[in-house]
Amino acid sequence: MHIGKIYKRNSIILFLFYISIFSCKNIEYSPNQIFDRNSYRDINANNLKKLGTGSQDDTVRFVVTGDTQEWYDETVKFYKTVNSIPGVDFVIVAGDVTEFGTLKEMQWLAEKLANLNVPYVSVIGNHDLTSRGRDAFIRMYGELNYSFVYGGVKFICHDTNSREYQFNGNVPDIPWLKKELQHEDGVSSYVAISHVPPISPDFDQKLVKDYAAIFDETPGFLTSFHGHTHNFEEFKLGSSPTPYVITSAVGKREFLLVEIINNKLSFEQISF
Amino acid sequence: MLFFLGTATSSAQKLKFLIPDAAIGQYAGSIGYFSIGAGYEIFKNKKGYLDFNYGYVPASKGGELHVATVKLAYKPFEIKLSDWGKLYPFNPGFFLSYTFHEDLAFRFHSDEYPRGYYYWSPALRPHLSVSNEIELSMAKIWKEELGIKRVGIYTEFNTNDFYLANYFQNVSSLSLSDVFQLGIGIRLKF
Repeated sequence: MHIGKIYKRNSIILFLFYISIFSCKNIEYSPNQIFDRNSYRDINANNLKKLGTGSQDDTVRFVVTGDTQEWYDETVKFYKTVNSIPGVDFVIVAGDVTEFGTLKEMQWLAEKLANLNVPYVSVIGNHDLTSRGRDAFIRMYGELNYSFVYGGVKFICHDTNSREYQFNGNVPDIPWLKKELQHEDGVSSYVAISHVPPISPDFDQKLVKDYAAIFDETPGFLTSFHGHTHNFEEFKLGSSPTPYVITSAVGKREFLLVEIINNKLSFEQISF
Repeated sequence: MLFFLGTATSSAQKLKFLIPDAAIGQYAGSIGYFSIGAGYEIFKNKKGYLDFNYGYVPASKGGELHVATVKLAYKPFEIKLSDWGKLYPFNPGFFLSYTFHEDLAFRFHSDEYPRGYYYWSPALRPHLSVSNEIELSMAKIWKEELGIKRVGIYTEFNTNDFYLANYFQNVSSLSLSDVFQLGIGIRLKF
């Protein structure tokens, strides 16, 4: 056979091959678009609906993780590990679901986390606020400050990424937190979850005192969970009684398994 | 007067290289819902493409964006399909896109972030691409000159620094089809 003919045929096969591995899913208008035809919507609200109120659940058991960023391989191992633990009610991802704040990264992560056997919610991280990430996150997950009650525990998920707002004094939103931590029937304890911990220079240092005071003054406030530093840490602010706990990062292959029984919180560090 | 006309003609000839060799329309491909552009055939062998595109994403297709793109590509292989058509099966390229939006600065402000806090540009994106093109010779099809000598229909796959960084760190959980994005376009060649 003539060499040119082989070359021509192979080129056409190659051509057909690389057209065939792509589909409509690969139609992208811009890396900066905030949604597309296939992107997830309102994950937090939909998953909270699945979770329910847990009114019959006297053992609230949940996973706190965060900073998935560029660690999709590890995220796969993460959901497999969580799926193998019995009795987990839900998972909270404490921010930085992307490295670059793009829709594609959010979508990739949501596709992986869709394999969790239990519902999950995400909280916004500083990386997710870069580029068009804020709008993409709001559409895919929902509000940046939100709360839910499960098994008599109120979970306060909020934005503490002050640096991304040029330390404008509104992040974290102190009045919103005050309102959310007011006494409520059917709620016996409170847990806060946010990305940047108050000991970080990325947290608005002008607000630390007020922030800590709200938690300290709330009867039944258990713990404030954070991400961001990628290192497990447990600390208190000065003489304040509130415990703060930083979950490790998915990239470090560690997460926290938290349990609340009779208004007492305990947790375990799990490696995977 | 004659002198003036003479210089005008010669400078017009000098500027002739500015006249594009092609008009381009492209759907998707990460540089707009739709983009239009001017293309040049470059290098002595005319196998290089240099394109300038303006793209637009309407609010309903992912949030309103304006995108300016400069593309460079090369067509190393050429397969004659018949006397009216050619296939360029594998054309590697590189392009830069700049997206205009208030959330997208050229770089992160140095007085808002410590040095090296975020290391990338939000607005300027480098892309790698590979395209294929079927080129129809209009003279053979239309049997007459209509100003457009050849029409190229192409599909282009591209990725960018963000997606590649993610891909190389996650080769088992991300695939090439996750990180490469598709665009379809037409080149009207004068």
